[in-house]
Amino acid sequence: MTAGLRPPPGTAESATPAIRLEGVSRWYGNVVAVNKISFSVGPGITGLLGPNGAGKSTILHMIAGFLKPSGGSVEVLGSPAWMNREMHRRTGLVPEREAVYPFLTGYEFVLLNARLHGLPDPRAAARRAIRLVDMEQAQDRETGGYSKGMKQRMKLAAALVHDPPLLLLDEPFSGADPAQRLRMMALLQEMAAAGRTIVFSSHILEEVERLSDNVLVIVAGRLAASGDFHAIRRLMTDHPHTFALRSSDDRRLGAALVADPSVIGVELTDGGLSVRTSDFGAFALAAPRVAHDNRVTIFEILPADRSLESVFSYLVNR
Amino acid sequence: MNGAIFVLTLRQLLGKRRAFFMVALAALPVLAAVIFRLADAEMSPQRWTADDLFEGLIVTILLPLITLVFGTTALGMEIEDGTVVYLLAKPLRRFDVIGAKLAAAWLPSAVLLVLSTLISTSLVLGGDNSSMILGFTIAVVVGSLAYCSVFMAASVFTSHSLIGGLIYVFLWEGVMTQLFAGTRYVSVRQYTLGVADLIADTSRRVFEAELNGIAALVLMAVVSAAAIALAVRRLSRFEMSTSA
Repeated sequence: MTAGLRPPPGTAESATPAIRLEGVSRWYGNVVAVNKISFSVGPGITGLLGPNGAGKSTILHMIAGFLKPSGGSVEVLGSPAWMNREMHRRTGLVPEREAVYPFLTGYEFVLLNARLHGLPDPRAAARRAIRLVDMEQAQDRETGGYSKGMKQRMKLAAALVHDPPLLLLDEPFSGADPAQRLRMMALLQEMAAAGRTIVFSSHILEEVERLSDNVLVIVAGRLAASGDFHAIRRLMTDHPHTFALRSSDDRRLGAALVADPSVIGVELTDGGLSVRTSDFGAFALAAPRVAHDNRVTIFEILPADRSLESVFSYLVNR
Repeated sequence: MNGAIFVLTLRQLLGKRRAFFMVALAALPVLAAVIFRLADAEMSPQRWTADDLFEGLIVTILLPLITLVFGTTALGMEIEDGTVVYLLAKPLRRFDVIGAKLAAAWLPSAVLLVLSTLISTSLVLGGDNSSMILGFTIAVVVGSLAYCSVFMAASVFTSHSLIGGLIYVFLWEGVMTQLFAGTRYVSVRQYTLGVADLIADTSRRVFEAELNGIAALVLMAVVSAAAIALAVRRLSRFEMSTSA
């Protein structure tokens, strides 16, 4: 698996981030898919985490130069991504769509990609990339007969064939069995350790937790949180949270909740209750129980901290 | 032109079923010619070849159908199934992508049409009328390039290019050009007939196109170039659908 990994060309210019998004929006007609997102990504593995339809693919497509931002700027390796075909010399893309050319063998498919990149020795490059993803045993079979996980690995080989310093992967582990998943993860970690920038999207929390140094949580087209995964988790669990509640009897529910150890403060407000908690997990369990015990019906329970609301709803609803 | 894309596209286009269907289509004029010979009809072979075989069958049906299938499929199929990403995520000039795709669509179209035209017209006309056979054959070669260019451009703009192409061929070229003389200037069929008329040395009673040959050639070149330019421009700004 380690054979053939070389330090990526172009990592010396790490002063500028590999990817920079500034106030990027993208809308389709009246629908806003991505809303004023800004972030920078440097070497290492970055996970775009969010539920299906959150806008992860739209963001990856804009980074890959396949969607024009409706607003803001997307820069990849120092240049705008849109209509920048030269960028593809230094980026590799594993698209989400499963389709490959079914009549080509795996080797022919990777070789095609090597030829399209104009590599000096496309055959050697194809063999090296196939060896990296551990698909030598199936390289002479037509890709039409591959499982989804095998296609994913050949697609990864095709994206790696020109040894790019930046790799973009859209839901790369979908369809891969656990062993394949582990192998792919190990490979990506090796590549990141060699100084490459890797960005992948996933709606699976565990994949991102396991692989990413850096996480961008995307919910409803907005960047809900970013940074180290464990810091985000801590933020969610340790940070005191305020919830707004509406119920059939706010005063009674407030009195009952204040007795619960997860609650550190209750305040009656105009439209209901404002409850502060130091442990949202325990509170999420306590609130319905307390309401039930006191025969109070909760109509609404919302995190009042807007910046964390979407992260919360995503992480907690899983 | 990019050789790897050209070879890839030929392999895509010449799948067993499609190739069989296209060859069967191309065999129709030959079959018609054999029947004409066997039937020993009283009609002049020249007139039958010009009116029924060439204009009625080859130029009206065979040429647009074969080029429609190859022209819209060569790139349109990749756009449809998403594999076009493997071509576009490369440092390639979009002109080279379109050029290779067009060449790969044109080559099998032209080969089938040339064989079909040459064999069927020769069967009916024998060794005589070589300028007519030559004129008709050259006309289908250039006509197929124009059709392929237009249909390929359509496939970059819409996923309904096959339906759009059928409407263009049968409603616009088939019906409208009969009703309104001016529409012949935007009809690849009329350009093809004009080119055939330019080269074939026939009397007016046998075959006469509605468009002047030189005008037809110029219009054909302009339309093909415009279609290619539009396709390249569109592909340069191509936005990938994010739906899986």
